[in-house]
Amino acid sequence: MRQEAPRAAVWFGLALVAGMSAHATVSAADGPPQNVAEAVAIATDLARAAEPRGQTALAAQADRIAAIPADWIVPCLAALADATPAGGNWLRSGIERAVDRAGDSLSADALTAVVADRKQSARARTLAFGWLKDRNPSRADGLLNGMLDDPALDLRREAVEKQLTAVATADETAQKATHRQCLAAARDIDQIERIAAWLSEHGEKVNVALVLGFVRNWRVSEAFDNAKGVGFAKAYPPEAVLPTRPETVQWKAVASADKHGAIDLNAAIETKKGVLAYAVADVVMPSGGPAEVRIGSPCAVAVWVNGKPAMAHEIYHASEAIDQYVAPAEFREGTNTVMVKCCQNEQTESWAGDWKFQLRICDSIGSPLATQPAQEKVAE
Amino acid sequence: MIMTTRRLSMMLIVMLWSVMATAADWPEFLGPRGRGAATDQAIRTRWSEAEGIAWKAELPGRGASSPIVVGDLVVVTASSGARQDQLHILAIDKASGRTVWHRRFWATGRTIAHPTSAVAAGTPASDGKRIVALYSSCDLFAVDLEGRLLWQRNLAVEHPRSGNDIGMGSSPRIVDGTAVVQIDCQGDAFALGVDAATGEDRCIVPREKLASWSSPLPVTTPEHGACVLLQGPHGLDLHRVADGKTVWSWKGDISAIPMTTESGSMLHVPADGIASVSPKEADAKPAWKSTKLSCGIASPLAWGDSIACINRAGVLCIGDVADGRLRGQVRLAGSFWASPILTGATIIAANKEGKTFLISTDGEPKIIAENELPGTFTATPAVADGSVYLRSETALWKVAAP
Repeated sequence: MRQEAPRAAVWFGLALVAGMSAHATVSAADGPPQNVAEAVAIATDLARAAEPRGQTALAAQADRIAAIPADWIVPCLAALADATPAGGNWLRSGIERAVDRAGDSLSADALTAVVADRKQSARARTLAFGWLKDRNPSRADGLLNGMLDDPALDLRREAVEKQLTAVATADETAQKATHRQCLAAARDIDQIERIAAWLSEHGEKVNVALVLGFVRNWRVSEAFDNAKGVGFAKAYPPEAVLPTRPETVQWKAVASADKHGAIDLNAAIETKKGVLAYAVADVVMPSGGPAEVRIGSPCAVAVWVNGKPAMAHEIYHASEAIDQYVAPAEFREGTNTVMVKCCQNEQTESWAGDWKFQLRICDSIGSPLATQPAQEKVAE
Repeated sequence: MIMTTRRLSMMLIVMLWSVMATAADWPEFLGPRGRGAATDQAIRTRWSEAEGIAWKAELPGRGASSPIVVGDLVVVTASSGARQDQLHILAIDKASGRTVWHRRFWATGRTIAHPTSAVAAGTPASDGKRIVALYSSCDLFAVDLEGRLLWQRNLAVEHPRSGNDIGMGSSPRIVDGTAVVQIDCQGDAFALGVDAATGEDRCIVPREKLASWSSPLPVTTPEHGACVLLQGPHGLDLHRVADGKTVWSWKGDISAIPMTTESGSMLHVPADGIASVSPKEADAKPAWKSTKLSCGIASPLAWGDSIACINRAGVLCIGDVADGRLRGQVRLAGSFWASPILTGATIIAANKEGKTFLISTDGEPKIIAENELPGTFTATPAVADGSVYLRSETALWKVAAP
């Protein structure tokens, strides 16, 4: 893992001498950066990479990052804050090679500072934490103590795990207190389910749907035709007159009692194939601004927020998961209207019968944001 | 002096590349050109955790992709993290099992997969100079043999409705300098050929909007040269690699998972049994069709005058490739997600539960060994230098050469 230095030296030497092949794009003129400012500039450019064209040049720039000394690594990490999807990987590919070369010369103090700095991007801090853990596990572990509310999802997850492990041999009262604290902190669904199960086993029933913030109170329309899938692209009255709600459509109030907030349209309307229905919910947001609409469904779905389209996925019975499709949307402070179009097809297989969806509105790490009137308590 | 140095360097590079190319002895899914039957190596017949294992490497995440062997490296992919959004390419020293390099990337597309599949389900491919790896997130990466990222294509960013949440299992190929990927799904479905050196588009072919788990199969024809066969639920299409042009098609209901194979210029298609069709004939009628040769999830294996399938009941059936006549069968045990491969006259069939059967194909098929390792095995084995590489969900085992 950390034996790249001699290989890289041979490689660079060969490329410089040969003056040919893709490797030869690294020449004396654009070799390793001469100072930290140049390294950061290269890192910033790499992080902005967007086009699938011109990647040979990007690879050469990543080589230059791979050649930086250990104490320039942390300054370059900051560029991840504005990284494009491709740019993040370009920069990571170069920096991780530099980290491999640096070995133990990578400063634990510098890594600790990055992890502790919540203004840095979650990716930069999570990478730094991993490198610190490789080099000084106890120091990394110590940092987790204050991270239950960390904005970096993976660090928060590790902090929750640490708390749960630490309290495993404590008395039940202490364990319950820690589990309650961790339930409030956790954002990963598997972790929340595990904690909720433990609390339930110890006499505290947890409303998982409320913890995860599913929108559970909806008004569901009558069924519309979706034979041969024609309805997905067809604007039936509920979407044809957005943002108003047509009075001609029959609406039925439906509340989900499902652990994962599912609205079962087979139960709410009728078990049918080749149909679609709309569901509308009013949600209250504590403040205006962008948020993530997260929907899961085995059916084709489209979502509107305050009458504006947020997403559409014409996919039938190809898996189902919480937060399967995620899209950004703009919300206003106070009451907002979310509308879902959920389409069932005509597949006859036994596994193709479900006609349902679940939806929640969250921030970027999965903290639920929306509420609805008359919500019950998390723990009963 | 400069000229001499350059010439020397050129020679060194050419020599290096030649060595790399010739040593790439199991470079892609189902081995060289995806036939699964390209080796003639003596392998050990008995192994277990305690016997016959050269090394075991713990992997940094889970996956269903097969290992490939490129020169001195065994390369394998995985994904990790609570959301399986950390994508790994790991190069392991073939001799020692030591990690030579380890590249990690962030997934840019969805990373939802059924538990029986994985985000790292597609097997990487190598042309001896570079390795391309495709994940269920529709991320395609190319690295060189030193682990240096050469290019990437974030196909779910470029085609936002692409993806298969059951788990995209298609493996990439490198054919004639073009890396080919098949993104069959209900959203944005397409096949893409990119320059293997630069990652830039060479051709893109729209596909029917249906999921399949098949991989492109390299096929060379005298008329069209290098082609890839793309299999979907409703037919086969043969595309010229150079420009993506469709040069032959065949319509039929085809299994979505097991992959067509080729032998003797015939294609053997998993379609309610096996149908054998000629890619030279337009609207080809099958030369033969056999429902006795039936594939479950594993792909058929064709070699010489034979064809073998493992059906859903775990029975290995061997037939005559000329007419589909059943020649013999043997009941194995367990479920088979990994495809059978052949070395010499021995079929290697690894079941999901960790038992690997060695089946003699001389005469009536006969189990000659059952070797068990712990773990869940859905990846097709690889064979190189007389060693068998078996990948469980979380570990890679090298069975020592005899």
